[in-house]
Amino acid sequence: MKRLLLLALALALVGFVPAPAPAAVAAPPRWTTTVFAKVPAPGYPAYVHVHTNGRVYAGTYAAVEAGTPSRVLEWSRTGTLLRSWEVPGQPAGSEHGVQVANQTRSGRLVVLDTSTSSVRTLNTKTGAWRTVAHLPGAVPNYATWGPGGALFVTDYGAGRIWKVGRSGRAKVWFTSPALEGAVGFGTTGIVFRKQERDLLITQQTTADGGGATPTQGFLYRLPVRRGGRPGEIETLWTSQPTDLPDGFGIGRSGHIYIANAGLTNQIVELDAHGVEVDRFPDAPLSGDNGSPVPFDTPCSATFLGTRILVANQSAIQGDASHQAILAVEVGERGRKPFLPRRAVFVG
Amino acid sequence: MTNPALSRRGLLSGAAGAAGAAWGVGALTADAEASVLAGTRQGSLPAKVDVVVVGAGIAGLVAARKVARRGHDVLVVEARKRVGGRVLNHILNRQGDVIESGGAFIGPTQTHIARLAERLKVPTFLEYNTGNSVYVSSTTGRMEYSGTVPPDPTILPDAAILLTLIDQYAAEIAVDAPWAHPRAKEWDALTLGEWIRSNTLVNPTGVENLIRSWTQPGFGADPNELSFLFTLWYVACSGDEQNVGTFSRNSDTANGAQERRFVGGSQLIPLRLAKKLGDIVALKAPVERIVQRDGRVLVHTGRGVVQAKRVIVAAPPPMVLDIDWFPKLPVRRKQLMRALDMGQLMKCDAVYSTPFWRAAGLNGFGLNDAGAARAVFDNTPPDGGPGVLLAFVGGATWRQYGVLPQSQRRQAVLEGFAAMFGPQALSPIDYVEHDWTKERWSGGGPTAIHGPGSLVEFGPTIRTPHGRVHWAGTETSTYWSGYMDGAVRSGERAATEVLDRLR
Repeated sequence: MKRLLLLALALALVGFVPAPAPAAVAAPPRWTTTVFAKVPAPGYPAYVHVHTNGRVYAGTYAAVEAGTPSRVLEWSRTGTLLRSWEVPGQPAGSEHGVQVANQTRSGRLVVLDTSTSSVRTLNTKTGAWRTVAHLPGAVPNYATWGPGGALFVTDYGAGRIWKVGRSGRAKVWFTSPALEGAVGFGTTGIVFRKQERDLLITQQTTADGGGATPTQGFLYRLPVRRGGRPGEIETLWTSQPTDLPDGFGIGRSGHIYIANAGLTNQIVELDAHGVEVDRFPDAPLSGDNGSPVPFDTPCSATFLGTRILVANQSAIQGDASHQAILAVEVGERGRKPFLPRRAVFVG
Repeated sequence: MTNPALSRRGLLSGAAGAAGAAWGVGALTADAEASVLAGTRQGSLPAKVDVVVVGAGIAGLVAARKVARRGHDVLVVEARKRVGGRVLNHILNRQGDVIESGGAFIGPTQTHIARLAERLKVPTFLEYNTGNSVYVSSTTGRMEYSGTVPPDPTILPDAAILLTLIDQYAAEIAVDAPWAHPRAKEWDALTLGEWIRSNTLVNPTGVENLIRSWTQPGFGADPNELSFLFTLWYVACSGDEQNVGTFSRNSDTANGAQERRFVGGSQLIPLRLAKKLGDIVALKAPVERIVQRDGRVLVHTGRGVVQAKRVIVAAPPPMVLDIDWFPKLPVRRKQLMRALDMGQLMKCDAVYSTPFWRAAGLNGFGLNDAGAARAVFDNTPPDGGPGVLLAFVGGATWRQYGVLPQSQRRQAVLEGFAAMFGPQALSPIDYVEHDWTKERWSGGGPTAIHGPGSLVEFGPTIRTPHGRVHWAGTETSTYWSGYMDGAVRSGERAATEVLDRLR
């Protein structure tokens, strides 16, 4: 006790006695939604990446005018716009879009470029871009690191999963009719679960009749075998018609929060087995979430503390005032994304 | 008010405060200044630090604080013998009443300066906004009015259309990249004046004159000197990440950028920042040369040479050209600095024993389509006395009246006040003025402006580091550029860049 008193006295004398902890701030009720940041033109955010540096990144996944260069934007974790980078080398006249899908272990952003079907990196310290891999004919959509430091990339335009090695060599790793979308609504989110050694994958629609109607989507589970080959794909959850499930995040409880980019404009919560637990908002269609910006093609759910950041794309309406990152309180923290030491591109 | 675009303080009144600064007249609380000066670095400068920050305005001080808090050695070098840059207090009397010679106002969505002021215990008070405003027209004479804009039927229809278009276009502008808009080249080739004249149906001269009452205080320039794209971007910046920028938020008092002022004057903010930083701030140390070589930067100042790993320059753009650079600035950066010109602005305040206009039911805001006092504000301290009327004299009005002998200018300003508020305004107990064009280390005010053609061509380099040199300053901000809030934001952003590189 004496030593403790002496220590307290010493700390007090040098001014290091910590201030009393502020009264705990009550967490807002679940599903409380706020505008984290509006996304400047060209807008159309489709995914949000929360970096290990604590900052938040998003790309512009489309543009009203063909030829408008895509941009990558950086915010502080409190939503202050810090910097932005124009994506170089996009072909003139075509439609441009990028997704900040992930990061390397060294902190470079992993950027998927739909107009060049490529995987690129951006060094935010220097602004330097590097093209890591080409995925011929692909519409790269989401990406996750997996075993061995490989990057797994979904392809919105075709029913396949790409695997990009550390050297940048890309190959089609998995194909399945289950990933063939109907009328262009294909494969979206992908997250590797280390403990389960599987990939969770969202599919907006299927052309193979896997659902009762063609407009139903799915959450799949795809094991990654020890040798690196894919296992058997299985369905964990089947969506409601027109949900168009898109990007998702996984909470520490194992619950999965999926943004439904379709007409329902909802966030759906599943338990770890794919059982639907909740939906927000309760009523579909309007997207009214209580914030000034309704859900309007909500595309992703990335954890930032106990909130999920939702990229609100307004893909159909194209309403620039809806193109924003929304923060939705879910009452739990997210699982740490899988970012192995080998998650770097060499060469 | 049904149309925010027509908010009284919006179109016209905002004129005065819109100044990237919302400006006022200057010195500072004597004890505060003395205390800060005493605490700054005396004697020789350190030979070596991690980061040198050039400029002790709000941007530079915020950047320095953020970098220093991470445990890095920082030195702020400031050319002047004071801190605050374009923020400057003026003590009115022995009672210590203060008004501002520089940036003064704060409004909604300016959360960064608000948060900083709160942490530094600098409270705000509402700008007086009760009663009627006054409009003096060369054709229709003097009238009092309430509401948004002067009831001039020859102006209102055009103004409504133009302001609606400005808001509509501004909403399409990316605050981080105005040059990327599909019509950027077209809009950057036009001046605001040209655009007004080609989109006005009834009274182009009248509307342009009205909008001039916004640009002269807000930019220190006239519509014919401003790129239309730059103007749209400035409006787009008048918001934050949650709220799109609008003309009314930029120009209004209530719910606008001129809504509040700081108790004790805005310069208390940089003063208290500097006090916290202590002897890492070195005054009277103008930077003459910056040399990057062998993975380090040598900053040559009037008080010696300091070596650093990184440098943040938080000085007004034209000042950057006065530094001798090695290696030279990239051509496009240099062209940007040349293209950016500081506005021409002075603030003229008349002091009265009481704010007599309030008893007459007037709020102290006035507009005049001619004369030296085009846009006038009630600049009375928060306790209600002494009464102070403030005229912004900017752009062409500055070029006409700013060059006159002070006695003639004073008379012209007082006559302008009298035209609005009666002959009592001709007899102030004091008169003070501050001409920012004569500030050696600012070169003008309230902000740097883009004429036609330069924003698209050179704008993209505004935040691009030059080797180990990073750029701060309100003009580099993506929201509230030209304002104190933009200065805070820019300092935080530049510090983030540097901290990333020091890891």
